[in-house]
This record gives sequence, structure tokens and C-alpha cells, in this order.
Amino acid sequence: MSENILHNEQKLLNLLEKKFLLKESRIIRAKRVEVKVEPKEVIPVLLYAKENSGYIHFAHMSCVDWIEDGEFEVVYILWHPEEKINLFVKTRVPRDNGSLPNIDFIWRQANTYEREIREMFGLRFEGLEGRKEFILEDWNNIPPMRRDFDTEAYVKEVFFHRLGREDAKDVREKIQERTDEELPDFAKKYSRD
Amino acid sequence: MYNDKESQKIVDIIQNFARKHSLFVLAYGTGCGAIEIPPTMTSRYDAERFGIRGAATPRQADVLLITGYLATKTLKRVIRVYEQMQDPKYVMGFGSCAINGGMYWDSYNTINMLDKYIPVDVYINGCMPRPEAVIAGFVKLQKLIQEGKADGWDRYKKNLDEYRANQKKIITNWVMPDFNR
Ligand code: SF4
Repeated sequence: MSENILHNEQKLLNLLEKKFLLKESRIIRAKRVEVKVEPKEVIPVLLYAKENSGYIHFAHMSCVDWIEDGEFEVVYILWHPEEKINLFVKTRVPRDNGSLPNIDFIWRQANTYEREIREMFGLRFEGLEGRKEFILEDWNNIPPMRRDFDTEAYVKEVFFHRLGREDAKDVREKIQERTDEELPDFAKKYSRD
Repeated sequence: MYNDKESQKIVDIIQNFARKHSLFVLAYGTGCGAIEIPPTMTSRYDAERFGIRGAATPRQADVLLITGYLATKTLKRVIRVYEQMQDPKYVMGFGSCAINGGMYWDSYNTINMLDKYIPVDVYINGCMPRPEAVIAGFVKLQKLIQEGKADGWDRYKKNLDEYRANQKKIITNWVMPDFNR
């Protein structure tokens, strides 16, 4: 890909790198820019992106549970309607007792995502308003999207099981064997290799 | 009361004949399957030729469709709706999710066996059943009604304690009015 095409992406990265202390930053591919920041830098970066760089659309916000590192990663996805670029702002907080600043004064709709993450992962947002109970009802277990929540054990305990599923075999090996087989002629033209 | 055709009184036969030809379906959907209902009802598959049509409120409806996976949160509403419906009432479970959990069998928020919580008269298999299958299910239900075998509402009253125990296992905060059998 020529430099020319990624011109807008590079411009954004240079601006952000000059202004903020980024932990990591890269262009994933055309139209995708990723920056990793400290939790306290989240508000400045988002505000700067919205007010000065034209990333006015808050597309999504999600959370990833990195249980191995003992951290949650929260991803804010912004969208530039004119340049058509997605900006991913990622930040990491400790799993226990971590907290993030509330950003719903920048985009009001962030409130919904934050409440969902608070409920599903148990991550605290400073100063977040709204009822604690959002999607779940009468939930008194650990937040269900945490990876230390054992879904299968919970399901076994709470729900009934119709007979007929116990003999479900692990077919992954069988499928793996089959993928090594020679393809029949008619299928060859659809094959990737 | 109505166990087989021979022991049915003539009035039951007439009553059941009338019932099976005017099934009012509650306009209520859960899961993916609600999307199969519009084509079933409208001109392409035209379920109205079987006497099947929509009803706006539970008290006017005869049939409750559970169209797919049922979240524990929705279960509460479904029980409430079911108990508001007038006798005789019928329940149809759509798709593998209602039968045994389907592909959501290990999800923390969907139930796996619908008939443990409310009595089901007909199950339709598929993921999701096509309108043809839905109509086949309705025809089966009509057959059961004519034979007097679609007695889910009766079973619910008789085994209410058992159903309640199962329901309360999931709905921990029970704040609903009581059901008068
Ligand atoms: S059976 Fe299939 S189509 Fe129906 S609710 Fe389940 S996943 Fe959706």
C-alpha cells in the first residue's frame, strides 16, 4: 500500500503522538488506527479526537477480560464520518478494584455501554449514574461475562437437561481429519488454495 | 375428561371442532422465531385459511407461541402472560432452543426445557422451523384439539405446584400475583 493512501491515518497518529503519552500506537490497516493509553489519558484523548480531529461518532465500546494478565481491556471505537476512519482507543485496568473515568458527558450514549460493562464485568466507572440493574434481573452471582464465571457449572445447576445430548461426541478431530482429505473435483474451484 | 374420541360427548366434539377452527394466536415473540410469524400470517402462506389469526392481548388469545430461546428474564413475562390467558389455552414451542436449549444450551440466561415451566402441547423442530413447518405444527395442534388431547391448560392446573417449584428455581424474586386455578 502506498504512503499516499494512508495519509490521513498517519496524520492522525502523528497528532496524537505529539500531544499525548501513548503506550502504543499503530495503523492496523487502511481506515483502522489503534492507540493504547493509560486510563487517566482516556478522557483527554477522546475529547481531542472528538473536538479537534472530527471523530464525532461514538461507534462502540467493549470490554475484554484478560484473566491471564489480571486486567480488563476496554476498547472505545470512534468513527470519522468524512475521512471514514475508525479509531480504536484501548486502555487496561486491573481486574480487581480497577476503575475507569466515566465518559458519558462526551457522548451521552456511552452511558448505555458503560452500564452494560459495569453489569456484565463488574468494572467500576467513576461517577456513573443510572440503576445498577440494567440487563440482568435478580442476578446474585459474579458478573457473567467474567471469565472466572463457570457458565457450564451454573447451567448444570440451574437448568434442566433433556436426555439425548450426553453422547455428543467431540467431532473436532474427525473434522480435522476430513480437512486433510483430497477435495473432490467439483469442490476444487471453490477452494482457497 | 376428553381422553379419546369414543368417550367424547357429542357436545365436546362440536366444541372442539369450533375451537380448532378459530385459533387466536397471541402476538408475542421470543428469540429468532418471531420473524417466521409474519410470512406465516400474510398472503404467501396465509395461515388464516386454517382459522389462525393474531390476537392483541393475552385475554383474547388461545395459543401462546414460544418462538425460540427463552431468556430467564422473559420467562417471568411468559408465565404472567400464560396465566392471564383464558382456558382452554395451548402452547407451541418452536425450534430446538425451546426443546432442549439448542445452540444456547450452555448459556447462563436461557432456559433449556420449556415444558418444565409451562405445559407445551406441540413442539416444532427446526432452527428455525419454516412457515410450512409452523403450519404443520398448527395442523397437528388442531388434530390434538379435536381428539381432546391438547390438555396443557388442564395439566398446568393439576400440577401447578410442580411447575411453580421449577419456575421459582429461576425467578428468585417472585413478585407476581397468584394464579387462581
Ligand atoms: S432454534 Fe435456532 S432459530 Fe430458533 S431460537 Fe434457537 S437458535 Fe434461534
